[in-house]
Amino acid sequence: MAATCVEFATGGFSFENCRRNAILEEKGLKPPKVYKTGTTIVGIVFSDGIILGADTRATEDTIVADKNCSKIHYLAPNIYCCGAGTAADTEKTTQIISSQLELHRLNTDRTVRVCTANRLLKQMLFRYQGHIGAALVLGGVDSTGPHLYSIWPHGSTDVLPYVTMGSGSLAAMSVFESRYTPGISREDGMKLVRDAIAAGIFNDLGSGSNIDLCVITKDKVDYLRPYDEANKKGVRQGKYAYKKGTSCVLTETVRKVEFVVESTQVKVEAMDTV
Amino acid sequence: MSIMAYNGAAIVAMKGKECVAIASDRRFGIQAQTVGMDFQKIFEMGPHLYIGLPGLATDVQTVAQRLKFRLNLYELKENRQIRPKTLMSVVANLLYERRFGPYFVEPVIAGLDNKTAEPYIAALDLIGCPMATDDFVVSGTCTEQLYGMCESLWQPDMDADALFECISQSLMNAVDRDAVSGWGAVVTLIEKDKVTTRTLKARMD
Amino acid sequence: MAVEFDGGVVIAADSRTSAGTYIPNRVTDKLTKVTDNIYCCRSGSSADTQAIADIVNYHINFHRMEMGEDPLVKTAAKVFQDLCYNYRDSLSAGIICAGWDRKLGGQVYSIPLGGMCIRQPVTIGGSGSTYLYGHVDATFKENMTKEECLKFCKDAVSLAIMRDGSSGGVIRMAAISEDGVEKHLILHEDITKFYRE
Repeated sequence: MAATCVEFATGGFSFENCRRNAILEEKGLKPPKVYKTGTTIVGIVFSDGIILGADTRATEDTIVADKNCSKIHYLAPNIYCCGAGTAADTEKTTQIISSQLELHRLNTDRTVRVCTANRLLKQMLFRYQGHIGAALVLGGVDSTGPHLYSIWPHGSTDVLPYVTMGSGSLAAMSVFESRYTPGISREDGMKLVRDAIAAGIFNDLGSGSNIDLCVITKDKVDYLRPYDEANKKGVRQGKYAYKKGTSCVLTETVRKVEFVVESTQVKVEAMDTV
Repeated sequence: MSIMAYNGAAIVAMKGKECVAIASDRRFGIQAQTVGMDFQKIFEMGPHLYIGLPGLATDVQTVAQRLKFRLNLYELKENRQIRPKTLMSVVANLLYERRFGPYFVEPVIAGLDNKTAEPYIAALDLIGCPMATDDFVVSGTCTEQLYGMCESLWQPDMDADALFECISQSLMNAVDRDAVSGWGAVVTLIEKDKVTTRTLKARMD
Repeated sequence: MAVEFDGGVVIAADSRTSAGTYIPNRVTDKLTKVTDNIYCCRSGSSADTQAIADIVNYHINFHRMEMGEDPLVKTAAKVFQDLCYNYRDSLSAGIICAGWDRKLGGQVYSIPLGGMCIRQPVTIGGSGSTYLYGHVDATFKENMTKEECLKFCKDAVSLAIMRDGSSGGVIRMAAISEDGVEKHLILHEDITKFYRE
C-alpha cells in the first residue's frame, strides 16, 4: 500500500483519470463545463510602444463566473500577454512560459525578446495540437523595438500592427479597421483600444464589465486595472440583512486559535567552496 | 446528468470585516437517492485555512487526501504554515496536472493570511483556473441559486455575526431550490482569534 | 504558385488567412524564407505550415553551418518532404519549395498533401489553384523571362483571388536568382482585372 500513497513528481500532465472519466462519460454522465474567458482582447502598436487591452468577464457556460478577472498576464518585465479561451489554459500557459523566459533572462543576462516568447508559446501550443485552448495576444518592447503577435490555439501566429482575439474580436476589429492609423499617438491609441474593448463588451455577450489596459514602452510599463469602468453598478438603497439569530444553530464548536506570525530570518553566509 | 451533480453539493465562501466564512451542505447522495447526511466537504488545511470540495464524492476525498499530502510536505520543507494564496497555487497545480483527465471537483478556499490576517477567498474550476474575489465565491450544483442569494444578501464589511447570518441564509435558501443538495448545513467562521463551526437546522427533504 | 525561369524562380501568393468566414489576417506573408535563396509558399493549416517551415529552417541552417556552403534547393525540398510524409496523417500542409542554387539554378519543387516531392517547371497549390489549372496550361510557356514570369504569376493569382473565397488581399511575389531576392507587392487596387467595370 505504501507505494500507492507516494506521488512521484514526474512533471508534465497526468493522464491517470482519463480511462475512468471516459467510462463515466460512456455511462451518460456529462463532463462539466470549465471557465472560459469568452473574451475581447486586443493589442495595437503605437508610436513608441504597445498597448494591450482586455475586458474582465469570465464565464462558465451562461453564468458570469467572475465579474472582474484579470486577462492581461505578465510574461517578462517588458512583455505582457492577453489570454482568451479556456481560462485555466491561458493562465497556466502564460505562467509556464513566464518562468521559462525568466530562466532565459538569468542565463543570458539580457532582456528577453518578444520573438522568443512568441516562439516558446507557439511551439508549446502546437505540441498540444489545439487541445490547450489558449488564444493569445502577445505584446512587448525589446532591443529591436515594439512587437505585437496574435497566437492561435493550434500554434499559428500572425504579426500585425493591430490584432483582436476572443469572441468579441469581430466587434473590436471593426473599430480598429475604421480608426487605426500607423504611428498613432499614445493618447489616441489608448482611446482607440478602450473603444475597441467597449465595442466587445457591449456587442458580445461573452465579454463584459471593465476595461483593463497595459501600455508598454521602452523603459516603462503602465498596467491600468481598471482603466475604465464601462459598467458601473448602481448603489443599492435597501438592505437585506437577516437579524442575528435567524439561523437555527444545532451544534457549535469554538476553537481558540492563536494568531502566530512566523518570521524567518535568512543570514548571508559565504558559500562553502572547499 | 452532469458528473458534478452525481452526488450533489453546495459550497459558498464569503469575506467579512477581518473574518471569512465557508459553508457547505452535508448531503451525500447517489443521483436522487440520499445516502448520507453527515458527509464532510470542508477540510481544514491550517489554523485559519479551509477548503471546500464540491463534486464527485470519490474525487472529493482523493483530492482532500492528496492535498493534505502535498501540504504536509510543504510544511516539512518550509517549516511554516501555508498561506491561503500559496494553497490556491498548490490546488491549481494539482488540478491542472490532470488537465486532460480531471478530478471532478471545483474547490473553494477560505482563510486568513498568516502574516497580515487579511481575509482571502478563492474558487477554482475543475482544471485549476483560480478566481479570487473581494466578495464571495460559490461552487457546486446550485451555483445559480447561490449567486442570486449572495448578490442580494452580501454587503461589504460585515462583522462575524452578520457574516454568519448572511452565509447561512444564502446557503439554506439556495439549497431549497436544488434537489441534490441540502440535508443539513455546516458553517465555519474564521476569525483572527478563533474558529467557530456551527451546524444548522435545515430542511431534510 | 511558383515558376522557373532561366536563372531563377518567381514565387507568388495571395495574403488571406481565414478561420471559417472570418479573416484574421488579410496581409499574411505566405512566402516564407528558408535561406537567403530558398523560399517556400505555404498553404493548408497555418499552424502546421508555420511549424514545418520553422523546423526546416532550423535543419537547413544547421546543414549550411556544417557544410560551410549554401544548401541546395533539392535538399530543402527533401527535408520538407520528410516531415510532410512522415506526419502525413496529422498534417494538412501543401508546400511549394523554390529557390536558386549554384548547381541546378532556379528550381521549383511541389510537396502536396500526402508528402510527395516533385520538381516542376511551374506549379500551383492551395485552395485557389483549382481555378487556375486551365489558365496555367494555356498560358505557360517554357523559357520565359523573369518579367514574363512575374506577369504570368500576377495574372494567375489575380484570377484565383477573384474566383476563390479563401484567397484575397494583396499579391506578394518574389523573384529569386543568383543575385538574391527581389520582392514585389501588388496592392489590391493594382491586381489584374479580367472583368469590365
